[in-house]
Amino acid sequence: MKRKLNWESIVRSKVFWAVVAEALILLIAVIVRPDFLKIEYNEVTGMLYGVPIDILNRSAEIIIIAMGMTLVIALGGTDLSVGALVAVSGALALKFLRWDVLIYNTPGNYTVMPFYLVILVPLVACTLMGAFNGLLISRLKLQPIIATLILMVAGRGIAQIATNGKQFTTMYTPYQFIAQGHVLWLPLPIIIAAVVLISIALFTRKTSFGMFVESVGVNPNASRVSGLKSNRIIMIAYMLTGFLSGIAGLIYSSRISSCDSNNAGVNNEMDAILAVVIGGTSMSGGKFSLAGTVVGALIMRTIITLVYFFGIVSEAILAFEAVIIAVVIVLQSEPVRKAMAKRGHKKVTGGVVRA
Amino acid sequence: MLKAETKRQGLFSRLFNPKFVMVYATLGIFLVIYLFGALMYGSKGFTSIRTFTLMFIDNAYVGISAMGMTMVLITGGIDLSVAAVASLTGMFIAYGTSVLGLDPVACMVFSLLVGTGLGLLMGATIHCLNVPPFITTLTGMFLARGVCSLISRESISISHPTIDALAGWKIYLMRLVDGEWVKIKPVAYINFNVLLMIFMVIVGIVLLQWTRFGRNVYAIGGSEQSAKLMGLPVGRTKILVYGFNGFCSALAGIAYVLYVKSGWNLALAGGELDVISSAVIGGVLLTGGVGYPIGTLLGVMLKSTIPALITFNGNLNSWWAKIATGVLLLLFIVIQRIVVNYSARKKAK
Repeated sequence: MKRKLNWESIVRSKVFWAVVAEALILLIAVIVRPDFLKIEYNEVTGMLYGVPIDILNRSAEIIIIAMGMTLVIALGGTDLSVGALVAVSGALALKFLRWDVLIYNTPGNYTVMPFYLVILVPLVACTLMGAFNGLLISRLKLQPIIATLILMVAGRGIAQIATNGKQFTTMYTPYQFIAQGHVLWLPLPIIIAAVVLISIALFTRKTSFGMFVESVGVNPNASRVSGLKSNRIIMIAYMLTGFLSGIAGLIYSSRISSCDSNNAGVNNEMDAILAVVIGGTSMSGGKFSLAGTVVGALIMRTIITLVYFFGIVSEAILAFEAVIIAVVIVLQSEPVRKAMAKRGHKKVTGGVVRA
Repeated sequence: MLKAETKRQGLFSRLFNPKFVMVYATLGIFLVIYLFGALMYGSKGFTSIRTFTLMFIDNAYVGISAMGMTMVLITGGIDLSVAAVASLTGMFIAYGTSVLGLDPVACMVFSLLVGTGLGLLMGATIHCLNVPPFITTLTGMFLARGVCSLISRESISISHPTIDALAGWKIYLMRLVDGEWVKIKPVAYINFNVLLMIFMVIVGIVLLQWTRFGRNVYAIGGSEQSAKLMGLPVGRTKILVYGFNGFCSALAGIAYVLYVKSGWNLALAGGELDVISSAVIGGVLLTGGVGYPIGTLLGVMLKSTIPALITFNGNLNSWWAKIATGVLLLLFIVIQRIVVNYSARKKAK
């Protein structure tokens, strides 16, 4: 009896369905390409190679952004500006690296401004932009979608003004190391994403911050009345998302060794939100799951990698992504989950109360 | 039947009803910006009727799509798929006429059906499966863009007599000189797209203000729970609203095809934000329940004056338009906030 009840609660959880979806996709992948999950160790470079490593490496930016997005969505909001912040971060970093771009046009292994400024200024700028979002949402009580829409539209303009609408390229090795370097046999982005994941997990689960976020997400007024400083919690969440988008922007621009204000971070906000929702965090706020978000981000990247194997053009991948996401969403939707949980159980114990 | 015994208000008090305050704010800021342009660049022809009609011609497709979006936003939902569906329509027409050699009218009807169908499907998903509109329409956007790219990754140009005739058809604005009609100088005209937009604005106004369907839309936006308890057909109305929006998106796609005469899989990237921000600038509240098609139209016009000003200036880069749009959005949202707070306080008294 106890096992049955447990099974019911597992089937009811959205994370479970996300893991099932990822397992199914991987199963299809292994059937199509038996070497899909193979990881090789290269003696000469001392690095691990393989499709799984590549999936982890390429999904690092989305995982990092989605960590912040999870908190923001758990608060009952959304942040549409992350993609624009990715562009701003890359543009500012390249601006500081190549301050002399008007004089010397050839990229070289040098930086004009000190390297710590190259890293620090974009991160601070993105955190401040996150604070701007947080201010609009917590103080002016604006709707998050529309408040972050402002920076989503204006952010790319700011990025283009920072670089004067041009694309700079850099060959500075320490900067390229951010995305192309290796630490502990793994590409550095994976390590950065893991560090971010662990820090956010510790921050939310080992302190009371995570509980506060869930509480504000379920009912902001009740939380305020019971003594939570909901404004401060909202501010921290949005600033954190801005900061993390800044990190993702540095990784992206380091990956391509240049800045691209038009294309950097395009659709990143959509990908991050989808990752969070597939991972089982409800758009209406409340409970969140960081592990689920990581699974969600991996699902999206696995689909893309798998579809590449079929030799389909990169833009058309969106259609396949849409179909698979639609299936996942339908599986996770409330009526379907209820129907699944009800099978074999005439009585559903402990009804889920939802607003 | 209940006899309506409401006192018929005078025209003045009806026009200055506080519920129109956002529309007036949009109109006021539009006039201020227009006046600014007239003072700065009046000598270069900013105030000419030609500039004014060109603003409509360049933004007709945004206006058409914004009518459907207004309705969706009033129900408290959102639709991110509009630009992708418009792009898909362009692709259907371009591929159908240029590659398959089909009749363009058949392609247009087909894409209108596809747009409406996709809208209805998304509406049904939102209502029946209780999936947030944001996620559902985002998936719709990915699907439409993906199918676009599956059809072709290259831009396909269209040269078909019917399309050329529709795109080239224009009404010149005339004036009476010595008992004879002559074209005004500089030459100004209205084309098919502008007529289509005006038609859709009228359809939007009639649907929202004078039909039971429209009142249901406002009721759902005000409070879906109350609407359900009052026995209004919430599900049907919501699904129909998304269907109508899909139709508008496809129609906007047709207008866009007539405007650029080609189909491209990445056309109108980010166009959904133009549409949503036009509606928001026009006073539609994203929380639902408030908004007027005429306000949205003013929002489209206000947004189109900014690129016009930047073109007339000649020294500013086009990316200033993005920042200006962001600042305008901020301004309007803050005004909306103040208005909402004010009326809430008034109600509390």
